[in-house]
Amino acid sequence: MTGLIVMFTFIAVILVAFMSIVQRSLPDAIILFMGVGLGAVVLFFVFQAPDVALTEAVIGAGISALIFLMALKHLGEER
Amino acid sequence: MMIESLFDYFNQGYVIQSLVDTGSMILFFIGFFGLLTQRHIIKIFMSISVMEIAVFLFFIGNIFDVKFTAPILGDGHDAFVSMNDPIPHAMILTAIVIGMAVFALGVSFAIEYYKLTGKTNINDISEMGER
Amino acid sequence: MNFKRDIPSRTYSGFALSALFILTIFNILLESGVSKTQRAGDALLALSGKEGVANAVTSVVVYFRGFDTLGEIAVLFIAALGIGLMLHGDRRTEHEESNYILQKASKLLFPMIMLFGVYVMVYGHLSPGGGFQGGVIIASGILLLLISDGSFEVPHAVISVLETFAGISYVLIGLIGLLVLDKFLGNFLPNDVAQMGRLFSGGIIPLVYIVVGIKVGSEMSMIVQNLIQRSDDD
Repeated sequence: MTGLIVMFTFIAVILVAFMSIVQRSLPDAIILFMGVGLGAVVLFFVFQAPDVALTEAVIGAGISALIFLMALKHLGEER
Repeated sequence: MMIESLFDYFNQGYVIQSLVDTGSMILFFIGFFGLLTQRHIIKIFMSISVMEIAVFLFFIGNIFDVKFTAPILGDGHDAFVSMNDPIPHAMILTAIVIGMAVFALGVSFAIEYYKLTGKTNINDISEMGER
Repeated sequence: MNFKRDIPSRTYSGFALSALFILTIFNILLESGVSKTQRAGDALLALSGKEGVANAVTSVVVYFRGFDTLGEIAVLFIAALGIGLMLHGDRRTEHEESNYILQKASKLLFPMIMLFGVYVMVYGHLSPGGGFQGGVIIASGILLLLISDGSFEVPHAVISVLETFAGISYVLIGLIGLLVLDKFLGNFLPNDVAQMGRLFSGGIIPLVYIVVGIKVGSEMSMIVQNLIQRSDDD
């Protein structure tokens, strides 16, 4: 059961990462990057590593993407 | 019966390990592709971050086996027996925090450069080819 | 010569991705005969039971590899210093009115987020969590307040005093351990195995993690404030 969950989550993470990189509008790319972080949190949880999952959830999907969005506001590109 | 054997096949050690190996390698190369082809500097930083996530998944996934559990006592566990390895967890924790800090510094560099010259396209940032 | 970067065509990436997909199947077939080697964490798990701390990852981060955590805090400090130096320009003079829903909801959510952050920080040695996670949660609560309220400023003097106090006390705890036990960051407070699972267990480990959490939280708050409240028009 864990092997199937790992495979499907990996496929989802790879697709979301590819979509995030080839996007043209930057705020959409950042939201999809948050999706990559959340997929990584699910994978860390399945790999029985709760500390790493909590850290990645708070930092990768919480603060890192928000720093991106604040930088976009100063670069004048939030369309 | 068919579903049971499918679940049991995918729970074997070497199958999960090879899935994790190739999955994280594919994610790493997707990030690498973004690093090489994208032109906006924020997109380049995002690709580097995707590459870092791939490395973390590779680390944590390669020590995983189905019979291990999380390295925390409680809920009936009384001793540290047949638990997951805590050393890579500690290393990846440190690496996640440092990756975020370095990434924030790089973004502030990009903001300052934009305030100075108004360029975000990495083709125009290189000042060697200007006439 | 032309130093511009060329953009490769999409067919190259298609070839690369399909080659990697074929590599997946080869990898599954080839790895069926490999056995796992010995793990490095078995000895450490056996040692961690003697410290009286229920979370093995916390004892590895704070006690067995405590010096690396000191180096990581130094790296965070350098990054926050660099961001503060570059972006510490002018403050924003006019305050935009944020959305009505955002204003009312953030007043309700902010105490919950701070309480959750303090809980995760203090219970780091009993359940998943610790100083880094709790500090970043507190910083995200302050970010919520900075977004919703236009006239809120993080008090600079209080934050700098907190940060220096936390940084100095980490090294002081290590030096006291050096004096008492001949070991930098030695465990000099009582840590019985019988107390495992209670709040006051594990000696200096929860103390050090709370200090780390205070430092990380205040640094991230300053980073977040520098990134937001910079004026847009020079």
